[in-house]
Amino acid sequence: MASNPADTPPTRMLVIATLLCSYPGIDATGQAHMEYPPNTFVIPTPDPVMFPESFYLYCFEKGIDGILIASCGTDSPYEGSYAQLAARINTVYARMKERGISIRRLKLTAICSVCTKAFLKEVGEMEAVLAELGPVRGEVAAVGA
Amino acid sequence: MPERKAKPPKKPAPVAGQVPQAAPAVPANGKSAPKAEKVGVYVCHCGGNISDVVDVDRVATEAAQLEGVAVARHIMFMCSDEGQKAIVDDIEALGLDRVVVAACTPTLHETTFRRAVLRGGLNQYLFLPANIREQASWAHPHSPKAATEKAIALVRAAVAKARLLEPLEMVRVAAVHRALVIGGGVAGLRAALDLARQGIGVTLIEKSPFLGGRAVQLHTVFPTEDLARPLIHRLIRQVVAQSNLKILTNTEAVELAGYVGDFRATLRTTPRGVNSELSDPTAAIAACPVEVANEFDDGLSRRRAIYQPYTGSEPDMPAIDWGACTRCGACVEAVGGRGIELTGEAVETQIEAGAIVVATGFDHYEPRDGEYGYGRSPRILTLPQVDRMLDPEGPSHGRLEIDGRVPRAVAFIHCVGSRQIEGVDEPGPDGKLHAYCSRVCCTATLQAANEVRRRYPKTEIYDLYRDIRTYQKDQEPYYVDASKRGVVFMRFANDARPTVEVADAADYPLKVTVADTLTFGTAIEVPVDLVVLSVGVMPRDIAGLIDMTKAPIGSDGFLLEVHPKLRPVESAIPGLLLAGTAQAPMDISESTSAASAAAAKVTTLLAKNYVEMEPFVAKVDPSLCDGCGLCLDACHYAGAIALQDVEVEEGVIEKRAYVNPVACKGCGACVPSCPVAALDVAGWEIEQYRAMIDAITARPLEAGARS
Repeated sequence: MASNPADTPPTRMLVIATLLCSYPGIDATGQAHMEYPPNTFVIPTPDPVMFPESFYLYCFEKGIDGILIASCGTDSPYEGSYAQLAARINTVYARMKERGISIRRLKLTAICSVCTKAFLKEVGEMEAVLAELGPVRGEVAAVGA
Repeated sequence: MPERKAKPPKKPAPVAGQVPQAAPAVPANGKSAPKAEKVGVYVCHCGGNISDVVDVDRVATEAAQLEGVAVARHIMFMCSDEGQKAIVDDIEALGLDRVVVAACTPTLHETTFRRAVLRGGLNQYLFLPANIREQASWAHPHSPKAATEKAIALVRAAVAKARLLEPLEMVRVAAVHRALVIGGGVAGLRAALDLARQGIGVTLIEKSPFLGGRAVQLHTVFPTEDLARPLIHRLIRQVVAQSNLKILTNTEAVELAGYVGDFRATLRTTPRGVNSELSDPTAAIAACPVEVANEFDDGLSRRRAIYQPYTGSEPDMPAIDWGACTRCGACVEAVGGRGIELTGEAVETQIEAGAIVVATGFDHYEPRDGEYGYGRSPRILTLPQVDRMLDPEGPSHGRLEIDGRVPRAVAFIHCVGSRQIEGVDEPGPDGKLHAYCSRVCCTATLQAANEVRRRYPKTEIYDLYRDIRTYQKDQEPYYVDASKRGVVFMRFANDARPTVEVADAADYPLKVTVADTLTFGTAIEVPVDLVVLSVGVMPRDIAGLIDMTKAPIGSDGFLLEVHPKLRPVESAIPGLLLAGTAQAPMDISESTSAASAAAAKVTTLLAKNYVEMEPFVAKVDPSLCDGCGLCLDACHYAGAIALQDVEVEEGVIEKRAYVNPVACKGCGACVPSCPVAALDVAGWEIEQYRAMIDAITARPLEAGARS
């Protein structure tokens, strides 16, 4: 369980979860009462391959500080989608760099339907990154200034 | 990468004869539909599972203040009759146009609430869940305030998306009233029989020349101690007797196309080489000069290139192993040229099927060279080999003898190739660690130990185990029986394996050493004549089938079900069902249960002349699409997207993307490929996601709050 020191800048993490793999895995984490930080918001999707690059940038612009893509990895039931997704995330990284947004705020992972510990580990690592980087608005604002 | 930009709208008109898209088209002007203005929000207490942590009253109060929300309530159990009635009543009384239920995970009750919405007179896809139990109250039980804030945000996001939902209709596909069952082992046979008895036509294909799978290699089956082959042949006779069931041995599926309701399979049947005119199979087999290891006896005996695994096999005639046969003609000559044909070629046939049951079975773990001494001594055998020896029809006619002598002492070692641990165990011959429990080997080992003890009371039995898992009904007595019969149990730790040394010069040829945790880690040396390795269950190599079907496999290499509890025999590929050990290690009773479950699913699926599928497939806004075709490149599924002619203005025909809702899997790979944002997945639209992000980030976080 993460600490919430009062002087820590507030951050939000978005988890993009696949319906067949990570979403039930995240549910299983809750079912086991394994705790993770509350400002972690899960949005389900058939497959994150559907999101265009602009969606990730939109999230950052709106104030999502970190995005964890909890994909099915190579276990994806959709043919070729993981390779397409990985390629797209590389493009997103390039565009994040262009905008001065740390690419550490976006991570592509694979979480299975029973991968509770893996989920907690990934959330914990992203949480540590966000604690170090602080809110994304600082980076977005700096670019805009 | 292109941004999603709207183009000036056109008003295309489909060319006559085009198939309409199943998912509703977006409004012709290319703009989003008006947002719903009468959303009903229902917050569940879940009997305290939610409300003990989350302030549900506050969540409902906050929801009531959201734009477009007409009513917000909190109710003790939303899944109860009372909860569902509240939804139905409010739809009727208040004219709700969208419904959000903030409760448990949607995998539990999404269908329940969809049906309630439907009963109220709304399209069922105008319902949206907000998961505030698994992802709020249960995940943050010690942070009630933060959990409440999160629940509020999740409801806000659900309302934002719900307001953009559009009514959808299930995709309906004409269904072929026939099933293809792949695998002629006990699971495939059971599934085929159940299907045929339900009046569904079945094509059962078996790769090998004989039916029965691995079960016919057993002598007896636990826990009933029935003789295996008579038991399996009882099932086979019932299968063969079905008039609407076609059995093809020596047959593989080499191509699979189509989708649920309308699969098309190309089957390749290798000739048997033997037909019913063969009058003297014994003479034919005896004449064959080729000998190879006999897989039916797990390599303990040799067979000829023309062979029959056992008398009374199904079919009850030999077959030719074309990989071994030299086509010398000796067998043909021995039987006077009748009944054997060495010149046949494989034949391909096409069949249609509404559903497919995969029952391809398993393989035994093959210990790597030197693993517990395997391969270093003929006295180190696997459990399946010893099972064959204990079979009166086996290679040693039921006698457990090595070099003509009954072993004085036997050591059984459990978990060989199962529950492997990185850093402790080395990968097997397939280069993988098998971390899973094979589940059936404990009881099988105890059954064999008891049988040896029963037949040879003077033989000492040592059972070296990590854990004993006789988990199924009527299996624990095997453990109790073994204890009563004097089987000596020794337990080794997770991080310490027994060792097996070949000791030729000693009184006993083998020495097993184990640190026995039952005696506080005492190192015990056990001299034995025979070591039996209780090998695990491995996924069979069905890469070709997986490639054709795109069926997902789990990290253990077995075929993966959609959900182990809620959809335990369904693959993620609609219409593809799993039966038996293709999915996971199972004993015979579990395999047949799974097979019957798969057959029941197919029966439900094909009960009507059509199947219905969720409408979450790609959709094209023809007013934005300019026919560039980039989406075709992004899509991996044949026929899911195509370009077709559309009359965009009077007399002007242009190409536009068209989605076949049956072939489309709804992954959305096409969506970001479109330079003009003409594509979306119905029910999972990018604008809906953006609205969710807006809602999640609508309020500033409290100082100190961290993800």
